[in-house]
Amino acid sequence: MIRFEHVSFGYPHGETTIEDLSFHIKKGDFIALIGANGAGKSTVSRLCNGLLRPLSGHIYLDGQDTLTTPTSLLARKVGFLFQNPDRQICENTVEAEIAFSMKVQGWPDDEIRKRVATALETFDLKGDWFPFNRSRGERQRIALAGVLACEPQLLILDEPTTGLDYLECIHIMDHIRMLNEEKNITVLMVSHDMELVQDYAKRVLVLRDGKLLGDGPVKEIMKQEALLRQARVLPAQIPSLALAFGDRFAEVFTIREMHEAILSEKKGDPGRKL
Amino acid sequence: MNLLNYVPGNSFLHRLNPITKLAAAFLYGIACILCDSIWMELAFIVLMIAICAAAGLGTRALRLTRNLLILGLFMFVLQLFFVRTGEALVTIGHFVLITTGGLTSALLLSLRVVATMLPLMLLFAITPMNDLCNALVKKAHLPYRYAFIITTAFRFVPLFSTEFHEIQDAQKARGVDFETKNILRKMQLVAPLCVPLLVSSLEKVNSSAISAEMRGFHLRSRQSGYKEYPFTGSDLLVFVLLLALVAFSAVFL
Amino acid sequence: MIVADHVTFQYADSSDPALKDISLKIGDRDFIGITGTSGAGKSTLAMALNGVIPHEFKGDFYGSVKIDGMDTVEHQVEDFCRKVGEVFQDIDSQMVASVVEDEILFGLENFGVSHEEIGARLEKALDDLGIAELRTREISSLSGGQKQKVAIAAILALEPQILVLDEPTGELDPESSREIFGLLRKLNEEKGITIVIVEQKIKLLCEYVKRLVVLDKGSLVFDDVPGEVITHIDMFKTLGINVPPVAELSHLLRLDGLWNGGITLTVTEAEKMVREVLHDPV
Repeated sequence: MIRFEHVSFGYPHGETTIEDLSFHIKKGDFIALIGANGAGKSTVSRLCNGLLRPLSGHIYLDGQDTLTTPTSLLARKVGFLFQNPDRQICENTVEAEIAFSMKVQGWPDDEIRKRVATALETFDLKGDWFPFNRSRGERQRIALAGVLACEPQLLILDEPTTGLDYLECIHIMDHIRMLNEEKNITVLMVSHDMELVQDYAKRVLVLRDGKLLGDGPVKEIMKQEALLRQARVLPAQIPSLALAFGDRFAEVFTIREMHEAILSEKKGDPGRKL
Repeated sequence: MNLLNYVPGNSFLHRLNPITKLAAAFLYGIACILCDSIWMELAFIVLMIAICAAAGLGTRALRLTRNLLILGLFMFVLQLFFVRTGEALVTIGHFVLITTGGLTSALLLSLRVVATMLPLMLLFAITPMNDLCNALVKKAHLPYRYAFIITTAFRFVPLFSTEFHEIQDAQKARGVDFETKNILRKMQLVAPLCVPLLVSSLEKVNSSAISAEMRGFHLRSRQSGYKEYPFTGSDLLVFVLLLALVAFSAVFL
Repeated sequence: MIVADHVTFQYADSSDPALKDISLKIGDRDFIGITGTSGAGKSTLAMALNGVIPHEFKGDFYGSVKIDGMDTVEHQVEDFCRKVGEVFQDIDSQMVASVVEDEILFGLENFGVSHEEIGARLEKALDDLGIAELRTREISSLSGGQKQKVAIAAILALEPQILVLDEPTGELDPESSREIFGLLRKLNEEKGITIVIVEQKIKLLCEYVKRLVVLDKGSLVFDDVPGEVITHIDMFKTLGINVPPVAELSHLLRLDGLWNGGITLTVTEAEKMVREVLHDPV
């Protein structure tokens, strides 16, 4: 789906720099990009859709080089949900807002109408709402509805759940997981919340100072405490707890697994029966 | 790159009293306005750049000059066709397009604009807005309320510019083609961005006001300022030199 | 120190009250976290506790809030802003200056702190937050965490008795967030400053605060020590607030009858619990 080949990037003022970054994300994957602030997470996500372009190296999106493809064309393949929905919303009704991207991308009118209707239903929104005085969670849903209506092949989420409460967060993330599993949409999520990463991501890329520090299945990365510490990331609680017991709970990853592991240890030991 | 932000430093220019800097920039500008010689206007520009270079601000001065020259060019073209005195220089058939009077007055005006604006623009490079306003409140008795509005306005410019870029990025990501060369089309595309920018600006201004009030904005008096801005010998020297420059320009140029 | 008595508040442009009949006592040296889903009234409560409401927002205000005996309706913001300082979520717009030291001087100057004392207060505030080396830096060149420390220092210099913070870590990464919470704990323990913090990050609240207040749709649902509040895990689920995974684990083990200690709030506590349950040698 997307391939970084020896990509380097630096801002003119010399803030975050990406150095010789190479990785490949295959179609249908669910990736979490983690690291401390300033590690280059946002830069990498903006490189994917041509908002930023590499100073050296190449990024291929579905075989197209982002250096030579205009952002407006890349936008047809890549949906981007920003941390702050207010930067995206600029129409006076939710209906017009959801239709916006499709209009810009030149979709036929009847198709747009159909998709807006579906989106309103899916995300439990009303078409005639004035978006600006809705709650943060609703505004984020409006923004997501607009992004997903275009059926992007790659969905980039830049800290999508900041400022949302737990229910709103679950609502949005569950829908994205469904799209990932049923429609094979590739997802790249930037997040600080390791519980969220643990629950939703399949593969994790760990960044530090613009370099790739780690790359692997979520279960493996979550168990590498030294790596996470090096990336200045706070590990998720349950994997971290399991690690405190060495190999004993090597297979444990979730609350349920931890609970069952404890129960089976209790049962397996006749001297300490339940 | 913002050409109006403060450049930290400790040069002889930086060390002057903020009020001296402000007065000097104005006096220098007045001297340029009073001057009627094309060559002397050029000399004023070169002198200003030289002074800045000596204070380590050469690049900033040159880049500002370049930008001001673009403005100057605009004035030049207007003036060139407006002033009809002197002999015909360029004619199309019987129609006199450009006259010698037009050419000289256009040159003089455009250079004067550059020479006058340059010191005022450079003022921002050597004076933090806070210092300027505090000094104006203390020494020139400017009401603090106005000083605060001015500093806040300046502080918000880069914030809004960042916000605007973020908003533009968000729209680009949705497929809006800002890379178009057509200016009318581009304006059409940028117009809707004003809505999110306005929404976030209002929020920012509001929370800024609450934050200032929670820290006793209304209790402030002229004597409140902690930093003192004493005048020194070099301030006096600068005043004398610039007054002399204005007098020289008024009498001889 | 702050006593809220049956406070109900409805914003002028809204059809429902944002706060419903809230009574709350905040004592000296308290460290209180306020949490709840979005729209539960967290920020409104914080603003009611420091008098921003009803002075800066129009609406109907019932009941009373007294800060050190001063009724916030009868007094002006200037009267109690010496006692209560506020730090906001939007890091950039709460600043008034472009250089760190000017930011901290602003309040000190306004409150008429004598010029002999002002320098010392400035330095002390910078030292307390560990940002002495940032004194002459441009605020725009700082990281989010550093900016938030400057904002706290600017309030702290005014020597308030109570510090109210509205999601101060909203824009920070976990490490900087923990650092801010650590600093707040230090201020609370060493200087005896009362801290009231609105926060969604439940793991941080559980680890740091002494008292947890939970709001739902404008009403106060819980008000107790975190270990006690979190025992109502099922209630939390209906409210739509998550709990730390280790808390949920201890809850499950309690239901099994394997654990009869308290709800565990941190990984360290949970490790102790699991070892005890498994009869591990410590």
